[in-house]
Amino acid sequence: MGMKKKKLIGFALMAALASPLGLVGVATSEVLELDSLKNLYGGVSFDHDMHIEMVSDNCSKCHHHTAGTEAEGPLCITCHANSPETDDPTCSGCHERDVFSAENMKKSWGTDLLHHRSKPSLKAAFHQNCLICHIDNDAPSGCSDCHTMTEVGEKFYDTGKHAPVPKADAHGHGGH
Amino acid sequence: MKTFAKQGFEPVDTLQKPGVAVPWTFAEKMLLGLSPGDYVKQLVRNPLNWFFALVYIIGVPVLLGRFYYGLGWATHGSYDYPWGLFLGWGLFCMVPLSASGFMLGTTVELFGRKDFKPLERLGLLNGLLGYLFAVVFLQVDLGQPWRLIYPMFVSLGPAAVLFLVAWHVATYLSVQVAELVPAASELMGWKAPKKMVKSIVLGLTVAGIILSTLHQGALGALFTYAPGKVHPLWFSAQFQWFHFFCSSIFAGLSMLIVVSTLAKRFLGWRCDANFTDNLDRITLGLAKGCALALITYLIIKMTAIAHDNEWGLLFTGWGQYYIFEICFGVVLPLMLYAKALRQKSARIARFAAIIAVLGILLNRLNTALIVFNYKLYQEIPHWREVVIVILVYSTYVIVYRACLCRLPILYTWKGESR
Amino acid sequence: MKKVNRRSFLKGGLVTGAAALAVGSAKKANASGSFGGYPDSMGVLVDMTKCIGCRTCEAACNKEQNLPKPDKPFDDKSVFEEHRHGGLPRRTTEKAYTVVNRYEIKGREHPLFRKFQCNHCQEPACLTSCFVNAYTKTPEGAVIYDETVCVGCRTCMVACPFYVPAYTFSSAINPVVKKCIMCYDTRLKFGRPPACVEACPSGVMVFGKRTDLISLAHKRIEDHPGEYNHHVYGEKDVGGTSWMYLTSEDAPFDEIGFDTHLGTEPIINYVKEFLAIVPMVLTIWPALFTGFHLLATRKDTIKNDEGEK
Repeated sequence: MGMKKKKLIGFALMAALASPLGLVGVATSEVLELDSLKNLYGGVSFDHDMHIEMVSDNCSKCHHHTAGTEAEGPLCITCHANSPETDDPTCSGCHERDVFSAENMKKSWGTDLLHHRSKPSLKAAFHQNCLICHIDNDAPSGCSDCHTMTEVGEKFYDTGKHAPVPKADAHGHGGH
Repeated sequence: MKTFAKQGFEPVDTLQKPGVAVPWTFAEKMLLGLSPGDYVKQLVRNPLNWFFALVYIIGVPVLLGRFYYGLGWATHGSYDYPWGLFLGWGLFCMVPLSASGFMLGTTVELFGRKDFKPLERLGLLNGLLGYLFAVVFLQVDLGQPWRLIYPMFVSLGPAAVLFLVAWHVATYLSVQVAELVPAASELMGWKAPKKMVKSIVLGLTVAGIILSTLHQGALGALFTYAPGKVHPLWFSAQFQWFHFFCSSIFAGLSMLIVVSTLAKRFLGWRCDANFTDNLDRITLGLAKGCALALITYLIIKMTAIAHDNEWGLLFTGWGQYYIFEICFGVVLPLMLYAKALRQKSARIARFAAIIAVLGILLNRLNTALIVFNYKLYQEIPHWREVVIVILVYSTYVIVYRACLCRLPILYTWKGESR
Repeated sequence: MKKVNRRSFLKGGLVTGAAALAVGSAKKANASGSFGGYPDSMGVLVDMTKCIGCRTCEAACNKEQNLPKPDKPFDDKSVFEEHRHGGLPRRTTEKAYTVVNRYEIKGREHPLFRKFQCNHCQEPACLTSCFVNAYTKTPEGAVIYDETVCVGCRTCMVACPFYVPAYTFSSAINPVVKKCIMCYDTRLKFGRPPACVEACPSGVMVFGKRTDLISLAHKRIEDHPGEYNHHVYGEKDVGGTSWMYLTSEDAPFDEIGFDTHLGTEPIINYVKEFLAIVPMVLTIWPALFTGFHLLATRKDTIKNDEGEK
């Protein structure tokens, strides 16, 4: 039961913090909109409850050691065997949008915590974490299975309205 | 021309018209002393000229197209094979076959072997024209030929092998022009330039040796930039430059034997007794040089394989091809030259020379195109590329022939000793 | 403080070099020192086990470098089936500085995607082979190219062991080399990572100091036993590159288009054997051959002398 409570507190916190940071948490319905790729893609609806069920309440599956459950990785355990829940267990609480900003570069390369050095950006964290699981469980794994491309995205990827006109001349064997 | 010669015609070989004290005009010299009508007649009679006309009709538009539409139009524009036939043939084949200039210069002027003198100027001309047209080929191939002088004056990359090639070929071209000034002076009746060149001939010759050693070697060294691309049997970081340099010796000499044979056969009317009577003897002399260079080359080729311990590769498909190249291009001409020398047969030496020249072509095309990218795929040149190569090479032959007909190369200028 | 970098060093050598006359060769000596790389240069570590083959990096590169519109949309996965001449997968071209290819590996459940672009060598073959000095290795680590001096000899393309530089063969007026410059002008110079690195949704690439990346790479291998191939491609290959790669243990480098036989020497080291003989020939040949001349013609000289008496 304590779990559930903790989670609720977490979401309340998230709702307060997330809007400017990346996660727009809708605590009541517990369906989140992930928008780390905004501009190119519309937000992705993420049913938090459903995923909690999928991982059988093992928050560490996604939240590592930050949600109060025992961390999974053998390397994580060396430090985080009994770590309590952190102040901000949300994804964006640790994974910055812009890991390559001067400030964040300094922070990540300057840390003594070796395993934290190449911390993925927010969008990378999502893809590394979600996608592997999705592929393994035959959940949707194609780009457009989760994302709907925006107008800006179509321009960026030269697709949809901005797709190139197919050429009749197939002079495309690269080496030439 | 033979027809006129049979009728008793004698081409210009003096400053003044025979019998009278009137000097030939420049135009008359250019027409070899024929009337314009007769000159055109002999041009039309020669079937080779019809062939050249055909080459020009097809080739000139293609060449113009290359400069109008870009290299991608004339060649495959391949990223994997940045160098095609223009350089494969025009640079890597033409330059070794033109090594005769410095070889003959060295033999006659430096080692004092005056007995090779009748062929010295042909050797020099073969060198000059070969290099000149290698540059023409280069100009066809460069993306921005108008920037040819950039490596000299605008932006210098002195640590590059090609930098050395550029400077050496440019310098060596001027050396060769200087070495041929005497021939031109005789035709034009100039005195001072000839005297000047005579006084610095030793310096020019030594410069010729240095420049030739380095740039012939440098052409080989260009491929040491591609250790992963050229097949290991054709690649040797240590010996690549020496392979190219050493093979250029017999390449140049063999080419000289081939050219002198062609000259005697087709330009017999232009050759004087000094040339024709000495040719067999000199051919055998050159054959000796070729044989020595060939055996040296064979040994260092084997040394290179031993050095990198590549014997195992000889049993692969590429290895068989390598053995073929060595047998056909090195061992066969070597045996033929040896036979020629034993039997004192200039005829066999000439045959050997043709094989040796083909062998060199095979080796250079192999290194530059065929075994290059042996891990990827083989590229067959675009037909337009082939047409342009034939066009430029035909121009080379035409210019070569024009020089031989006029300049005192195959004959001795009368009235003044050489 | 004035920095003496490789380029200005070479330029300095030029003054002496030019004095060595037209022959222009003594200066080769400058290339015979070895160059370990700039200490603080940046690099990128590509962890191919994380690549999902979405081609976002290709799109980002296209936009950042203002490259022409592609032949197919960047979300079109059919390009993975495309083959160029010889059945080889796609390569970098004048229209694409970076390319992602898919490799199906026997015994591996999922395909492996490989992103590649210019590896920005520590001692670049293109740079050392260029006779107009069009290439520069910047202290930040990028290998950049100056198209205003390029003559178009394409030796850099021959020299590049990775088959990276492409050429605008289609242009008649101003054909130039086209290759990745690590977004030097627009990003790297300002401490930002290249566009492809930032755009990657999967965190395949880590941007940082090259030295840091090397230790990170080894740490990753060590931390994930059985997951990674133990070779950090580019750490030592061809003298080291600014871009380095990790692959999974069941997808060895030579099965995903990497040449693992290039050795650890920079390309220029193979050329040094020749460069070393240049000053020798220049200095020894004149004396040697003039000596030969005197020997060979001594009989004539003696005869002449006697004649004069």
